Amino acid sequence: MKRSRVELRSYPPFIHDWKTSAKAAWICSATLVPVAFWSSVLYGRIAVLTWLTAVAAALAAEAMASALTRRWTLGDGSAVLTGLLIAAAMPPGAPWYVPAASAVFAILVVKAAFGGLGANWMNPALAGVAFAYANWPTHMRDYLLPRFVAGVDGVSAATPLTFAKGLAGGLDIRVMDALRGASYPLSSIDGAVTGFLNDSLFSRLSARLPDGYIDLLIGFKPGALGESALVAVALGSIVLVSLRLIKFEIPLAMLTAFGLLSRIFGTGLPGESFLAGDAMFALSGGSLLLVAFYMAADPVSSPVGRGVCLLYGASIGALSFIFRRWGAFAEGVAYAVLVMNVTVPFIEKAAASLRLRRGRVA
Amino acid sequence: MRARGFKRGGVPVDHRAPFKTGPIENAFLPLNAIVQLREHRNSVEPVPVVSVGQEVREGQLLARSTGRASSNVHSPIPGIVRRIETTRTPGGFDSKAILVSLEGSFSMLGKRPERYLWKSLNKADIAHIVQDKGIVRVSSGEPLYEILSERSEAPGFVMVVSALEMDPYRRTEEELLALRAEDVVDGCAIAARMALPSRIMFAVDESMDQPTLEPLRELAARSELDITIQRFRRRFPQDLPGQIAEAMDIVDPGTLFIIEPSTLVALHEAVVSNKPHIEQYVYVGGGSIKRPAILKARIGAPIGDLIEECGGFSGHPETIVIGGPFRGREATDLDAPVTRTTRAVLALSPEETKSAPERPCVRCGDCVDACPEGLSPYYMLKLLRSGRPGDAEAAGLGRCSSCGSCSYACRSRIPLVRYFDEARQNEVRS
Repeated sequence: MKRSRVELRSYPPFIHDWKTSAKAAWICSATLVPVAFWSSVLYGRIAVLTWLTAVAAALAAEAMASALTRRWTLGDGSAVLTGLLIAAAMPPGAPWYVPAASAVFAILVVKAAFGGLGANWMNPALAGVAFAYANWPTHMRDYLLPRFVAGVDGVSAATPLTFAKGLAGGLDIRVMDALRGASYPLSSIDGAVTGFLNDSLFSRLSARLPDGYIDLLIGFKPGALGESALVAVALGSIVLVSLRLIKFEIPLAMLTAFGLLSRIFGTGLPGESFLAGDAMFALSGGSLLLVAFYMAADPVSSPVGRGVCLLYGASIGALSFIFRRWGAFAEGVAYAVLVMNVTVPFIEKAAASLRLRRGRVA
Repeated sequence: MRARGFKRGGVPVDHRAPFKTGPIENAFLPLNAIVQLREHRNSVEPVPVVSVGQEVREGQLLARSTGRASSNVHSPIPGIVRRIETTRTPGGFDSKAILVSLEGSFSMLGKRPERYLWKSLNKADIAHIVQDKGIVRVSSGEPLYEILSERSEAPGFVMVVSALEMDPYRRTEEELLALRAEDVVDGCAIAARMALPSRIMFAVDESMDQPTLEPLRELAARSELDITIQRFRRRFPQDLPGQIAEAMDIVDPGTLFIIEPSTLVALHEAVVSNKPHIEQYVYVGGGSIKRPAILKARIGAPIGDLIEECGGFSGHPETIVIGGPFRGREATDLDAPVTRTTRAVLALSPEETKSAPERPCVRCGDCVDACPEGLSPYYMLKLLRSGRPGDAEAAGLGRCSSCGSCSYACRSRIPLVRYFDEARQNEVRS
């Protein structure tokens, strides 16, 4: 007998935790604002346009889905977050229809078609990005030099990852020095800061920091919009973890696995030997950090259990490493997450049956 | 002394709302007392022994127990029986209620309480008084006579006097321990004489201060009973039997007999002062109450009267709750009467309820982290929603104690525990 939905108007508990899924999405979005701001400083109008287009397209798509399902969901913040994350993966020079189409694809096809928030089995933003890579491969790999490095707007250049991948493997110097040797652009800020650090700190430890890492941190290098402020992304990830908005096991396992594998097997870059890969370059180059904290740890498309999350994160890290090391392109993190998204139901089921079996024995 | 705590899950309840401390005041007498005859869903209705129009004295028997799960009910005020009819209670079940209008003179109020020396009473005498005076366990509504005699038949249990109040509001039991320690320990001795526990443990909050604990410790030492005092960590639902047992590393919560100071005070008054269970300590508070306080109210008094005595509302309450914020019930109107299980009346502001529209599960795992039983609430709900109650049972639905931690933590505001309760009620029916 199906019982009618309880005669009480409201049901205990009557008090709740401050967290709501909407608040979580809005806070995540807010932590991306500094990234958007910094990339706009670096690239000017085209960056602003990309951020706005992606968010507007995501909102429009969400509104359309809301109208079709007659469920108003714009307030839950997830559409804005998806839009922001798609913009973050865009190269600054991408034509407006690339972020727009990606956002619409992400919201309508990946999210709404499967039943809206909570029902999507892939991270919508990443699926949107993959969609863009498949449709506009040239646009998605056409990067610009920030105006402070080039002096003028709109100078194309390869990202450090792509450039390093193209360097001859036999060189016997560290990757950053190899980049310099190939006269890869370096900002004056990096030169000054690295020089200062080397003089004041590293020289006393008889070590040397190669030029170029500071550029990676502050985004003075070609790259996607979201990669232009590694510092801001790192700060945002601290917010997410300390407010417990994401399952920190996932990025933790992912970055650890990726870093360790890079260190052990090398990243296929110059100047590496077994057990001496350039993990720092691997971790700070590209979109790894952003994807780890904002996309891989997206609750909907990741497992729930703590142990399973560690496994899931580590698998993403390992896959990312494989894709980057031996894949056709320099960036493979997005695909690693998407692949693991698909396996979530299987690994969760396996974990559940394992738990059940263990429980019966005990 | 180390504070103990349960091992996993739960909800932090560190913040405690301030309230008016000091001697507990008597609430004004209600002009009309609505005496509800059943305390909860499972209790059996006692049979009214008065008729409409009849004059009753304060403390006169209104309805007689029919045996198991039913208790004697007495008139909280002197007056005239106006109505006897079945009504829907805030708990969502039907109960006969007797309406008594205040009239005539008081036999108890304002008089010096009688004081009998109970030490000469034997087990049977005490049992008779407890049954006759309609004492119920305040936390559960079960007749105290019944649970005490059940316990006495199976010795080897620990009597836990629990002053644990794991929500941001209620402090009644702690206050009673502080203000009426002697009566509580005396009540404890009376209960012990009837139930024969192997030992007695006072369960107190880790935040309880030394000036309160010291006299208690002295009384315990003087009482010739095997009493220990144990501190517990402040985390909901530490007050549930399962979590007390877990904190004490006791495997079977059934070996704990949990009773509250307020029940012991009622028991003490019944035995020593010959007083039926017609009064109840009620914490009136919440963010929308002007002056939160503990009141000693008569059974049957409308909760609206108590709220008025505490200065009325400040702001606009979003909900009015009878009982705790985690497991209480919403009051549909302010005429809902105080019963022998009404421990708190809370008027909660929107800032406290933090209610939000229900959204789909986002698999954040907060419910898994919050569950003190180590279950996966989101997964059990998924199974229930896809019509697989058997699998939900296998996933541990039966171990759910309905504490509500999962619903509290859920960021999509899914009333998980409500679905679990409903599923189990269906189970019972089919």
